[in-house]
Amino acid sequence: MSATGYGWLVLAFPLAGTLALALGWRLWPGRAAGWIGSAAILGSFAASLGMLFELLDRAEDSRSLVGTAYTYADTAGFRADMSILVDPLSVFMCLVVSGVSFLIHVYSVAYMTSDRGYVRFFAYLNFFVFSMLLLILAANFVVLLMGWAFVGAASYLLISFWYRRDTATGAGIKAFVINVIGDVGLVVGAFLLFDGTGALDYAGVFEEAGNAFGRNDGQLVAACVMLLVGAFAKSAQVPLHTWLPDAMEGPTPVSALIHAATMVTAGVYLIARMHPLFELAPAAADVGAVVGTVTLLIAATIALAATDLKRVIAYSTMSQIGYMVLGVSVAAYGAGLFHLMTHAFFKALLFMGAGSVIAAMGGVQSLDKMGGFRKAMPFTFATFTIGALALAGFPLMSGFFSKDEILAFTLNRGGGYVVLAVAGYLASGLTAFYAFRMVFRVFFGEPVPEARELERGHLHHGDPANPATGEKEDTEVGFPGPEHHVAEQAWPMKAAMAPLALLAIVAGTLGIPGVTDTLEHFLEPTFEDSRFLETHPSESSEWLGLALGGGLALLGIAVAALVYLRRPGTALQLRERFSTVHTFLSNKWYFDELFDAVFVRPMAAFGRFGRSIIESVFVQGVLVGGTVGAVRVGTSLARAIQTGELRAYAFLLVSGLGGLVLYFLIVSV
Amino acid sequence: MFTIHLSIVVFLPFAAGLIAAFLPARVGRWLVVAATLGVLGYAIAMIADFDGDSGGLQYVTDDAWISELGIRYQLGVDGLNLFLIALTALLWAAATLWAALRTEDRPRLFMFNMAFAETAVLGAFCAQDLALFVVFFDLMLVPFYFLIGGWGEGDRVRATTRFTIYTLVGSLLMLAGAIALGVLAGPGGDLSFSLAVLAERPLEAGTQQWIFLLFAAAFLVKAPLFPLHGWVVDTYRATPIPVLVVLSAALSKVGVYGFLRIVLPILPDASQHFQDLMIILAVVSILYGSVLAFSQDEARLVVAYSSIAQLGFIVLGIFSLSELGSQGALMQMVNHGLVVGALFFIIAVLTARAGSTSLARMGGMALRAPVLAALFLVVALATLAMPGSPNFVAEILILFGTFEDKLVYGLVASAGVALAAVYMIRLFQRSMHNRTEPSAEPRELGGLDLAVIAPLTVVIVALGVYPQVMLDRTDEATTSKVEAAATAADGSPSAAEAPQAGPPGGGAPPGVQVQP
Amino acid sequence: MDITWFVVLSALIFATGAAGVLTRRSPLVVLLCLELMLNAGNLALLSFSRMLGNQDGQIFALIVLVVAACEVVIGLGIIVAMYRRRLPIDVDQMNELRG
Repeated sequence: MSATGYGWLVLAFPLAGTLALALGWRLWPGRAAGWIGSAAILGSFAASLGMLFELLDRAEDSRSLVGTAYTYADTAGFRADMSILVDPLSVFMCLVVSGVSFLIHVYSVAYMTSDRGYVRFFAYLNFFVFSMLLLILAANFVVLLMGWAFVGAASYLLISFWYRRDTATGAGIKAFVINVIGDVGLVVGAFLLFDGTGALDYAGVFEEAGNAFGRNDGQLVAACVMLLVGAFAKSAQVPLHTWLPDAMEGPTPVSALIHAATMVTAGVYLIARMHPLFELAPAAADVGAVVGTVTLLIAATIALAATDLKRVIAYSTMSQIGYMVLGVSVAAYGAGLFHLMTHAFFKALLFMGAGSVIAAMGGVQSLDKMGGFRKAMPFTFATFTIGALALAGFPLMSGFFSKDEILAFTLNRGGGYVVLAVAGYLASGLTAFYAFRMVFRVFFGEPVPEARELERGHLHHGDPANPATGEKEDTEVGFPGPEHHVAEQAWPMKAAMAPLALLAIVAGTLGIPGVTDTLEHFLEPTFEDSRFLETHPSESSEWLGLALGGGLALLGIAVAALVYLRRPGTALQLRERFSTVHTFLSNKWYFDELFDAVFVRPMAAFGRFGRSIIESVFVQGVLVGGTVGAVRVGTSLARAIQTGELRAYAFLLVSGLGGLVLYFLIVSV
Repeated sequence: MFTIHLSIVVFLPFAAGLIAAFLPARVGRWLVVAATLGVLGYAIAMIADFDGDSGGLQYVTDDAWISELGIRYQLGVDGLNLFLIALTALLWAAATLWAALRTEDRPRLFMFNMAFAETAVLGAFCAQDLALFVVFFDLMLVPFYFLIGGWGEGDRVRATTRFTIYTLVGSLLMLAGAIALGVLAGPGGDLSFSLAVLAERPLEAGTQQWIFLLFAAAFLVKAPLFPLHGWVVDTYRATPIPVLVVLSAALSKVGVYGFLRIVLPILPDASQHFQDLMIILAVVSILYGSVLAFSQDEARLVVAYSSIAQLGFIVLGIFSLSELGSQGALMQMVNHGLVVGALFFIIAVLTARAGSTSLARMGGMALRAPVLAALFLVVALATLAMPGSPNFVAEILILFGTFEDKLVYGLVASAGVALAAVYMIRLFQRSMHNRTEPSAEPRELGGLDLAVIAPLTVVIVALGVYPQVMLDRTDEATTSKVEAAATAADGSPSAAEAPQAGPPGGGAPPGVQVQP
Repeated sequence: MDITWFVVLSALIFATGAAGVLTRRSPLVVLLCLELMLNAGNLALLSFSRMLGNQDGQIFALIVLVVAACEVVIGLGIIVAMYRRRLPIDVDQMNELRG
């Protein structure tokens, strides 16, 4: 089969899975739905491997194929086909997405067992994977937008999965609306490109862009910035990031899959995919680089103060994506995508571990209430620590190579980029600190009652409550309650976490400076037109960067150990000492409040104003009321003549007749 | 190719309604349903049979009617009204089926009025003679007057009066405009109201302008667009659901259809002259409708205001005076009809379960009614023009068409896309998610309701998967309609008409390698 | 014979009828006067028919007679109905159709 044939298969498996699960939702007994969903994704992964081998069989310069199914919309110069693009970049993304998705599906098979929405969950999850793969494989902007919006919808549905919780549905709406803002950005960007190049498919746009736009052409920069708006909304970059922490209301596997490993990296993929444009519009690329850096710093600082376990990981996701955005914006495509992959592994792993812990806590997510799980959950402890080490960039772990490669590239660009690189190094120290703040607070210290009970072999059972509001949970639609399984007792969860842990350790070998460059070499055909293809930092400077990064990671871990293990009171003292800073950070830099004041409240006020003033006074009062009133006045005049007096009518009749006769007499004379 | 008689299509429902009025109610209502299904079958056959490459009229009926005044009985179908006829047929079939399944009081009269209304709307869509169009346009009000006044809810008398008087005033203005148009364009008493003839008799720019305003008043009231939408709130509250479905889905399209069919080709200079005014009204409608839609508590009014925003998009597309924009506008007319029809049926179901139209009294129904929730979700996502839905294709065409010439207005309008997400998802969430209100009794859709709502949803999804089926057939006709207006501005072609630089877009054929 | 006389007579009868309709309050008399007016018209029609020598006018006159008969039937019927309901038989008080 051809590579594009495999590409369609990649899409067909999860779509078929979605339909099978959704249409037969009453039929699937027990865990069958979970296994069907997982099998569909495994099929997708196999087909992705098929694409990979097909591509590897071809010469390097013919590794980009377009497959068209049918004409989607073609009118008045607007033409979009239902077509997919198979090239090294999309194959790489498909492999990462379908691989990680498969493991998370397997994890969910056990994790969601006690949930009443079991089939619905897997139908949504399969739909999400389908959408994500569509986004990746799209060969033009229209199909891209389709995948782009579908993942947003899937994300909305999964965030609001426990839809009796109003915190969950509120978070869902927030995520959905911010994602739609991103969609609009993409539409506008696509138009600006279409206006210049007359094409909507990538190949046509890239081919024509060079002729249509000069370097840093205003329209091109605007187009790229609008594309960035789309990327930022999806990838939770400042200032469109506020939905991501709230999205943690969704079930933990969802956080692992969508809000860590796959969907949120779509923005990075988009920038990498659009690299010919960004290289023509370096100004826009710089915007991306700066925003990425700002995000990685802000998110890292918030993660220091957050106390919700999942939100700490969410902020760390934001921060890591900041690194990736920085990477692809400074043309370190290989490095950025490398980090995308390793991050998918270790972040999914961290969330899985967190899910296990939260299940053990009976749904409680606050770090303040956790502690001492090391003995109760040895497997979770081991894998979580591996994930944290990779996140921190501990030497020789996967995150160590990928993150520091980005920073090395950034340093190498020189000039103002040095500032960005320095900020990146600074944040990597913070990353190590907060990563181990989690590890130490969850697994070390005095065991909490839940941990003790677990050590004695039975789980905590309590009334399920919404961790955000403390409201008693409505269990009709399912809930992340105490019946949930922990990794120690459910083999599918272990089976999913073990390979990820392994990958989090060894995935770095795909790109060790001076030793291996497998990934970069594989991706090369996609980026061969890049001006920066040959500008590599020298090997020695890369190793220097790695040493610096590793040193900072060790420092961060050491400080965390000092604060949380050696002198447990220090954290409180620091908090009191810098209470303003702490308030600022724990309020997440007041972004939510800012949006509330700038958009939400004025809009609501305008709505009230519109309803009470414009609508009732002007539109219905003056216009409708006026028109109807005028008609009423006219008719009441006409009514006044109708006295009902028979003789008055007769008189009018006769005098009219007389008048007519008189008129004709006068005329005829 | 077989012969399709448009007169049969147009008058079949009326005839069936008339006969049904003298049959027992049990039989009569099904006769009307059968007639609407017959029209639907006819419409589908027409779509299949339609020759998309010809921009001209097909299935033309052309007879002298009032020859002294040059008025002809002229019906015809082209790409412009083909899908609107199908939409009308589909929604009337759904609405009469819905009504037939419920025992209304005075069912025969109700069914007769429904059938009468379908004939009037189909006539207005098919008419190719201005006078005939005006006749059908005003005839539409008659059955709706009785339907709302006789079977309405709440303060129906007030609503009916306001609706009828307000829209009738608009119609009268149009009547005056139509007469003026025929008289002023007919040199030396050679009167003709045939649209094709009128399009070839250009008027003075100044004359065009005041006639334009008369037509615009009628069409904007009917659409409705801000600030002429005042009748909407009372009417949408009072109208019974099957009537509301056809009112908002089909009737409102007659107005905007009038712009494309009559105003743009016959009054090109005025269309160009008032382009900015119309675009501003459209953009204000989009924003105003959206903001009000999400500050409403009543489910029907959310959809009512969302319709104002959606029709704003349609008018925006038309008055972008570009091929893309009007193509998108035409497509959006059909799509909006489909989604709004489905939405009102769903709201009817919700209202029956919650015992109130207030969103505050709904909630948490998804658990007991997963099929309803799934259908509602599809329809809601289509309404907010989610990519992959037909509405997205339409809106992207409208926006692209607007961006070409009027980038700033287009950008403001695209904020409306984001606002649509807010109000539609809010509507979905308030009714389906969150906690169940104690007064609500969530139940799954009945099989009969499903039979009405599911086909609409299927059509929406199908059009989303393959929108080209519509674009193929409408493309020629819309292009020819905007041509005159787009080139009207001081004789030079507008940017919309200028050929695009660069090669035509589009992917390579399957299997062909493309180097990025 | 000169047609003028017939027309003058017809006009006089018509005027008498009209005056009666305008001045009398009893519906019965009003009806009578209406008959007078109709028959004045008939007279004129017949005279002109004679003068022109064709039958059109006579046919018109016959139609008017039929209409007059119908009108009397309905008018008297209304009056009888009112009498039975003991309503005042007075055209000035019959203003139910006031707008």
